[in-house]
Amino acid sequence: MNTDQRRFKRTPVIGTALIAAGLAVIPFMTSTTGLRQASQIVIGVLAVLGVNVATGYGGMISLGHGVFIGVGAFATGYYVDDLSLPWLAAIALGALTAALSGALVGLPALRIKGIHLALVTLGLAIVFQPLSKRFPKFTGGVSGTGIDALFLAPAWWPGDPRMATAVYRYLFCILVVALALWATWNLVNSRFGRSMRALRDNDTAAAVYGVDLITARVQTFAISAGLAGLCGALQVVLVPFVSQDKFAPQESLVIYATAVIGGLGTIWGSVLGVLARTFVGAAGKAAAGIDGFGFLGEFLDLLDEAAFVFGLGLVLLTFLFPRGLAGIGRRNEVAN
Amino acid sequence: MDLVLLLQRIFDALFNSAIYSSLALALVIIFRSTGLLNFAQGEMATFTAYIAFVLLSGPQPRLTGGGLAGLVPGVPLPIPLAIVGAVICGMAGGAMTERALIRPLGRAPDLALVNITIGVLLATNSLMAQWWGTGPRIFPAVFPSGAGQHFSILGARLRYSTVGVWAILLGVLVLLILLLRHTRTGLAFRAVSISPSNAELVGVRVGTTLMYGWALASGFGALAACLSANSVLLEPNMMLRVLVYAFAAATLGGLDSPKGALIGGLIIGLSQTLIPAYVPFIGFELSVLPALLAMIAILLVRPAGLYGTRRIERV
Repeated sequence: MNTDQRRFKRTPVIGTALIAAGLAVIPFMTSTTGLRQASQIVIGVLAVLGVNVATGYGGMISLGHGVFIGVGAFATGYYVDDLSLPWLAAIALGALTAALSGALVGLPALRIKGIHLALVTLGLAIVFQPLSKRFPKFTGGVSGTGIDALFLAPAWWPGDPRMATAVYRYLFCILVVALALWATWNLVNSRFGRSMRALRDNDTAAAVYGVDLITARVQTFAISAGLAGLCGALQVVLVPFVSQDKFAPQESLVIYATAVIGGLGTIWGSVLGVLARTFVGAAGKAAAGIDGFGFLGEFLDLLDEAAFVFGLGLVLLTFLFPRGLAGIGRRNEVAN
Repeated sequence: MDLVLLLQRIFDALFNSAIYSSLALALVIIFRSTGLLNFAQGEMATFTAYIAFVLLSGPQPRLTGGGLAGLVPGVPLPIPLAIVGAVICGMAGGAMTERALIRPLGRAPDLALVNITIGVLLATNSLMAQWWGTGPRIFPAVFPSGAGQHFSILGARLRYSTVGVWAILLGVLVLLILLLRHTRTGLAFRAVSISPSNAELVGVRVGTTLMYGWALASGFGALAACLSANSVLLEPNMMLRVLVYAFAAATLGGLDSPKGALIGGLIIGLSQTLIPAYVPFIGFELSVLPALLAMIAILLVRPAGLYGTRRIERV
C-alpha cells in the first residue's frame, strides 16, 4: 500500500470520527425541536444516497427521488395507522413499497437512457403531487394526513418523557442511517456493485461479461428508491403528518443537486452533500438576517433559499470540481 | 356524443396547443444543435414573462426585483412593446447561457449538461420567487378575450385569442423557415445541426451559430410564456407543468424535428383537453399524467417519434 492509498483510507476514518463526535454532542445542546431538526438533516442522507446509487453508481440520472420519499412516507403512515402494524415492520414495509415503485420506474429505464431518463423522472416528480391528491384514502388529499400512532421511547428509556422520545428518535434515525450507509458501502463494493458500475460505464461490454442488464438495472433502481423510501418512512417517525405539498418537484431537484454537489460515485459524497447543505443553510440564514446594503441586501436574502444556492452551486461545481466536493483534491478523472 | 361540445373543446384546446408547440419548438431547436434537453427552458421563459410584466407596470417598488429596478422605463409600455422587450431579453439571456455555461463545457458527458440546466432551473426559480413573490400575478390578455369576443363556427365559439396566438406562431414559423433556408446563418445552423465537426471543417463558426440557436430557442420560449401568462396566471412555477407538455409534444413529434414539435404540440394540446373531458378519473389537475405516459410510451416504442431521425444502434 503506497502513501497515496493510505491517505485515501485515513480521511474517512477522521471524517467519521468528527461526524460521530458532532452527533454525540447535539442532544446535550438543544431542545426537542432542535433535535428533531437534527434528525431530519441526518435522514436526508438516505435520499441523497438513493440518488447516488442510481446516478453515481448505476449511471441512471434520477431527477425524481422526491417521489420515492413520498411513497415511503405515505406507505409507512398507511401501514402503521390503517393496518396497525408495529413501527419497525411499517418502516421496513414502507421502504419496500418505495423500492417496488422504484422497480416499476426502473423497467422503462431498460430502454430509456441518459438524458431521456432524466426527462421521464422529472416528469414523474411533477406528476406526483396531483396524482397523490387523487388517492385521498392513502394521502389525505390536498391537506395531508395525520398519523395517530406515535413512535415513542420505551418506558425504561431514561429522561423526562418528551426529551426522551426526541433523543430516542434521534438515535434511532442515526442508527438506521449508519446501517444504510454501511450496507450500501458493502453493496457497491460487492460483485453486484461492480456489475452496476460496469453497466454505467459501458453496458454493451457489461452484457458481454455476463451482467444481466435487465435484473441489474431494475435492482439498482429499486435499491435506490428503497433508500429514498426509508428516508420518507423516518420522516413519519419524526413528524406524524404527511402531506403532498412536501413533495414539490423542486425538492427532488434539490436532492439531486445535493447528491451531485457532494460527489457522485462515492458513499462519502452523499454525507458531504448533506453537510454542505446544512452549513450553507445556516450561513444563508445568517446572511439573510443582515439588513441594509440596498441592492446587495436582496442578494443576501437569496442565500437563504436552498434552491438558489444549490442551483448556483450545481453550475459552479460542474466547472470547478466535476466530481463534487468528495472529489476535491483527487485526480480529475472524467466524471460519469 | 355532443358534436358541438366536442368542437368547442377542440377550439379551446387549440390555444394551449399553440403554447406547447412554441415551447416544444424551443426545446427542439436546442436539442437538434446541441443534443441537450434544456430543462431550464420553462424557467427561463417564465423569467422573461416577469420582465414583460415589469415593463407593463412601470416602476412600482413592489413589482420590480433587485437589480431590475433601475432599468424599468418610467412609463408603462403597451403590451406588444412589452412582449417584444421580453422576447429580446429572452434571446439575450439564451445567448448568454450558451456562451457562459454551455460552450465552455465542450464535449462534456450528458450528466454535466443536465447538471447545468437543473442548476439554472433551480436558481432562476427561486430568484423569481424572491424578487416577485410566489403569489400569482394577473397578466393582461394580449388579445381581446372578454365575453362575446369570438367567432361562431357551427355553434361553437372560437376565441379571438386562439386565432391570434396561432397567427403569431405561424408568422414566427414562416420567419424561422425563411431564416433557415435563405440566410447564411440559417445555412450554418443547418450544417451544425447535421454535423458540428464537419461544419467546423468547412469554416462554420460552430460556437457562434449555436449561440444564435439558443437565442432563437429562448425567443420562442419567451413568446410562449408571455402569450400564456394570462391564462395560467403568472407565478414562478407557471411553466413547470407546461414544460412536461412541451417535452411530451417534442418527444411525440421527434426530438430533432421542428415539424414534429408543431404537430406534437397540437396533439398533446388536444389530448390535454379531451382526455379529462371523457375520462372522469383524470380530472383537470391530473391532465399532465396522460402526457407523461404518452412520452414514456413513445420513448419505449419509437424513440424517434413521428418525424424524428431514427438512430441506428450497432450492438
